[in-house]
Amino acid sequence: MLTSHVSNRLAAYVDGEVTPSDVRTIERHLAECARCRTDHQQLRLAAATLKALPMVPVPDNIWPLIERGLREASPTVPPVRPRVWRWAAAGAMAVVIAVVAIGRWGTATRWEVRVLEGSPVVASRVLTDGGQVGAGDWIETDARARATIDVGAIGTVEIAPDSRVRVTATRANEHRLTLERGRIHAVISAPPRIFFVDTASATAVDLGCEYTLNADEAGDGVLRVTRGWVSFQTDGLESLVPAGAACATHRRVGPGLPYFEDATDSFRQAVNDFGFQKIASESLNTMLAEARARDTLTLWHLLTRVSEADRARVYDRMAALTAVPPAVSRESVLKLDPRTLQRWREELAWTW
Amino acid sequence: MADLSERTISADTVEACRRGDRDAFRAVYECYKDRVYSISLHFFHGDAAMASDVTQQVFLKLMTSLGQFRGDAELSTWLYRLVVNACLDVSRRRKSEALVEPDESRPERFVAAGSPEEDYARAEREHSVRCAIGALPPKFRVAVLLRYFEDLSYEQMAKALNCSMGTVASRLSRAHRALAARLKDVIDRRD
Repeated sequence: MLTSHVSNRLAAYVDGEVTPSDVRTIERHLAECARCRTDHQQLRLAAATLKALPMVPVPDNIWPLIERGLREASPTVPPVRPRVWRWAAAGAMAVVIAVVAIGRWGTATRWEVRVLEGSPVVASRVLTDGGQVGAGDWIETDARARATIDVGAIGTVEIAPDSRVRVTATRANEHRLTLERGRIHAVISAPPRIFFVDTASATAVDLGCEYTLNADEAGDGVLRVTRGWVSFQTDGLESLVPAGAACATHRRVGPGLPYFEDATDSFRQAVNDFGFQKIASESLNTMLAEARARDTLTLWHLLTRVSEADRARVYDRMAALTAVPPAVSRESVLKLDPRTLQRWREELAWTW
Repeated sequence: MADLSERTISADTVEACRRGDRDAFRAVYECYKDRVYSISLHFFHGDAAMASDVTQQVFLKLMTSLGQFRGDAELSTWLYRLVVNACLDVSRRRKSEALVEPDESRPERFVAAGSPEEDYARAEREHSVRCAIGALPPKFRVAVLLRYFEDLSYEQMAKALNCSMGTVASRLSRAHRALAARLKDVIDRRD
């Protein structure tokens, strides 16, 4: 029998804030009432849409203003001691630069470099304070040096100790660095595919994000994304890496499977083994057994990197972990239909 | 999404703040700054200047009034309440702000992966969400942000908003309806 409409309780139901008894009542009603089902679907999707709002780093100029306010409020409190730069501060600075200068980003042909610690070598000169670099210039840090580059007006890149980085291009539509060795942390706020970092085995293509990338001369390295997305790619092979995920790259192989860093140890080990240790079947079994709904990130990438028989197993596991959208058919996935895979990825991305 | 309460500011740090230790202040700021700023930014539909003002107000208020913090509640709960009050106060002072449409020329952050077309569509969706939130009455707007941006439970929200859980549920339910109506096009495109 149809109970009275449950519209007023649907928001709490979607939010998981109703009692088990109410859950049963609401679900019974939803099974029978098309109007409330429509409401429920709209509420659920509205909530999912809202949850995708981005976290925006605070501008770097806020703390000095607060500090000044604190001094005025309490003049006896000593001023804050100078502190070393942090990644987060560099990130905030990137956003300030990007926001202030947006509209003219890409016009810079030389980029500012600032010394954070020690004496990095920039364009063959030892730098003690600040300077500029252009295309073709190298920046090298020893074990005690760190520097940061203002990448045009779209962000910053901090260069960690023991690193060697080359500025490859400073064009309006291409801001490009080469990481020969060491580690960088990039904070970029710009449209996608404007900022690139090449390593010996893969290229990190910014899609609006913050990430850390380390690599050695041979091409072994790891990309870790803390905000937004990065496309990690080499000829014909692409791994899409969202915030919270990482992706290794190996010499002569290129980027492996992306994985969430909170996955189980054995899952992460299997991801590494699958790409680079040539014991694919065993590691595939482990990944399928250990995967959580969120690990469909890895499984989605697996679809194009396994045999057809194994692809069916991957699909079935993904279908067991998440609801497959009606527009995504098993047959199309097994045929690797690009539109189907893209459609599925877009839906899955809401859970990644 | 993790909420502020998952960040840990120790009792020792709070105590150091009370003594005027500026490094402890800075630690609190570093811990919460992006979330406070982001809530404010989304509350004021992308107005970075307004969000910066509110962020300053919130932290100044937090730092200068820590002596009143009794310590029987989460510091994050208290901070949320300061954020809510600051957003609503500024909103009240600028009653016309609810009528201000987001700056169409304001650069959107691009956080998506895919073709340029997909990226554009996603940025457009983000813009629509921001506009839809901006059109809500301030009390509903802040409730929606605490729930969906900060992922607070109704109980945590009730403490931050200084109201009952029933009021939280009522505000969210009404906000939900308004948002679903305004986001209908976005939602239909996802179907």
